[in-house]
Amino acid sequence: MEDLISAIKKVLEQVDVVLGWARSEAAGVAAPAFFHTPAEAEGAIFDSTCVHNLAVHLPRLADKKAGIVAKGCDARSIAQLIAEGIIKRERVTVIGVACPGVIDVKKAWRCFGFGKRVSDSGGQVAMEGKTVKREEILLRKCRGCREAGPVIRDVTVGEVGKAPAAPADPAGIRKRFAAMSFAERRQFWQDQFSRCIRCYACREACPLCFCRDVCTMQAHEPGWSGGATNSSQSWMAQLVRISHMAGRCTGCEECERACPVGIPLMLLLEEQNAVVEELFGYRAGSGTEAKTPFLTFDVNNDSWEQER
Amino acid sequence: MRFLREENIPLLLHRLSESATVWAPQVVRDTVNTVLFSPWLEGAEVETGLYSMLSAKELVLPATERLFSYRYSQAGGREKIEINADAPQEQAAIFAARACDAKGLAVMDALFLDRSGASYNDGQYRARRSGLTVITLACTTCDSACFCSSFEKGAAETAGSDIILYPATGGYLAEAVSKRGEELAALDLFRDSSLEKPELARTAKVELAGLGQRLFDIYDDLDFWRRTAEGCLSCGYCSYACPACHCFNIFDEAESDRTGGRFRCWDACMFYAYTQESSGNNPRPEPAHRYRNRLAHKFSYYPLNRGEILCTGCGRCIRGCPAGLDLRDAIRAVRAR
Repeated sequence: MEDLISAIKKVLEQVDVVLGWARSEAAGVAAPAFFHTPAEAEGAIFDSTCVHNLAVHLPRLADKKAGIVAKGCDARSIAQLIAEGIIKRERVTVIGVACPGVIDVKKAWRCFGFGKRVSDSGGQVAMEGKTVKREEILLRKCRGCREAGPVIRDVTVGEVGKAPAAPADPAGIRKRFAAMSFAERRQFWQDQFSRCIRCYACREACPLCFCRDVCTMQAHEPGWSGGATNSSQSWMAQLVRISHMAGRCTGCEECERACPVGIPLMLLLEEQNAVVEELFGYRAGSGTEAKTPFLTFDVNNDSWEQER
Repeated sequence: MRFLREENIPLLLHRLSESATVWAPQVVRDTVNTVLFSPWLEGAEVETGLYSMLSAKELVLPATERLFSYRYSQAGGREKIEINADAPQEQAAIFAARACDAKGLAVMDALFLDRSGASYNDGQYRARRSGLTVITLACTTCDSACFCSSFEKGAAETAGSDIILYPATGGYLAEAVSKRGEELAALDLFRDSSLEKPELARTAKVELAGLGQRLFDIYDDLDFWRRTAEGCLSCGYCSYACPACHCFNIFDEAESDRTGGRFRCWDACMFYAYTQESSGNNPRPEPAHRYRNRLAHKFSYYPLNRGEILCTGCGRCIRGCPAGLDLRDAIRAVRAR
């Protein structure tokens, strides 16, 4: 932790605020923290409970110079934000960290209860004498993680260079979903979205959603997706959001983590990301100069027309 | 006091389900430990180890409810509109609500069912509430997000409940706290008991005294509010999970060009659109303004106006906040300011 704290202090000399994590005394795990002073930075931590993607705050800090502690997956979001011109490269200083994979807090609650102080060393997560293998309670995205290190970083803390070795989830929901008929899939999503309460935590936790306050999901005139939360409306609203993420979603899983009613949003996004990668050879967040497939359309150079 | 044996719980749920929809905390299928109050079906497992992500308020104030439906028709060459008001008639029972959930219902009763007649007496709410039986599971343990002990009665709160089940060896001690609760306790599934009530959970505390005035004093200190709400993503989870938040919006929705209805839907003051005026002005443009409002409405405006704090210490807004914010930190910061 010493390396991280001194890195943050150093970066603080040049920026207004550094986004990182500190221990939440209530939750026992990490909570996002805004470090404005070296004294505040003393509380900085990084471990497998640092689940949040702090890149979500960068567009909101557009008038400030910001530093940010970033895992591999978070760095992809930062790169994509820069590539799309949503934030400026020169206004952000990235402190890349070596990530052991982060845990699914709800799995940890089941093992330990909420608010037990976590310690994490050598692949074992422990709380009050109880120990669980970190691998068993990892977030889904960390299984089969492809990040060898933060794709964009100005400072590096720890030894980056290899992705955490957790096998991909073999009996996952995605596999089961692929075996369903279209009618079954339709029923599946009707059931899932019947729980949606339209709290928009998915939207607000997404670093790449940028409409925010003028979101189509909440527009009144015209009321594209209505105010009444019925399953079809909520499903439609989410599909609008998700289709706007094509070629932009970096798979950080924050929407699904934020969802209080457990709708498996990543099922849709992973599928879409796979299609974009297959068709365009593009993974969102690959670099700051990358061009997102759906942002390259040029009305004067319609190659699709020509190819036909 | 009466006693309910553990193995009689499914029988009780079955008995209740003969005349009502029984809601109980259950892990949602296909999810990682997402617990919600949902309709209980025979044989389903009730989850009492983890707290539900949402409170019990949807039973009296659903996320969406239709107030009336309309239909246009032609009669004698003239356009006619027919309006049918919805009158909820559901009988429901909630099993294993917590004292904080039940208290939330009592807080909302005071608002929606103002018996003095001074304000509004809401027919839709009244219909749902009068058809609801509340079976509360008393907390002998708590987690670190819980803070009901900050309030006078803490985990021993009985407001809003009909019957309270206290964990005991081999089952539950049952204490009726309403007439409906007495009828339940009289069922043959219960037997008399002379056992003592167990010691209830003592949660973390946050000092709330004087907060009402304090929030007024620092209202204009926008730098403070920006700092306090710094990590807030401005989603509506905390409001929607809260047993005492009750804001709603009204939407008219067409189903076809001739039919549709009017709906009452949850709304949250954390949303930008909540205070968006048709002029284009928005008096609460930043999350800081909205966070200030949410806190001040709960701990200042409402208690000063109506004598009740809009919080029951359930801790959901802490447990489930996607940004890891802790309401108690904000309260402490306000006091320290």
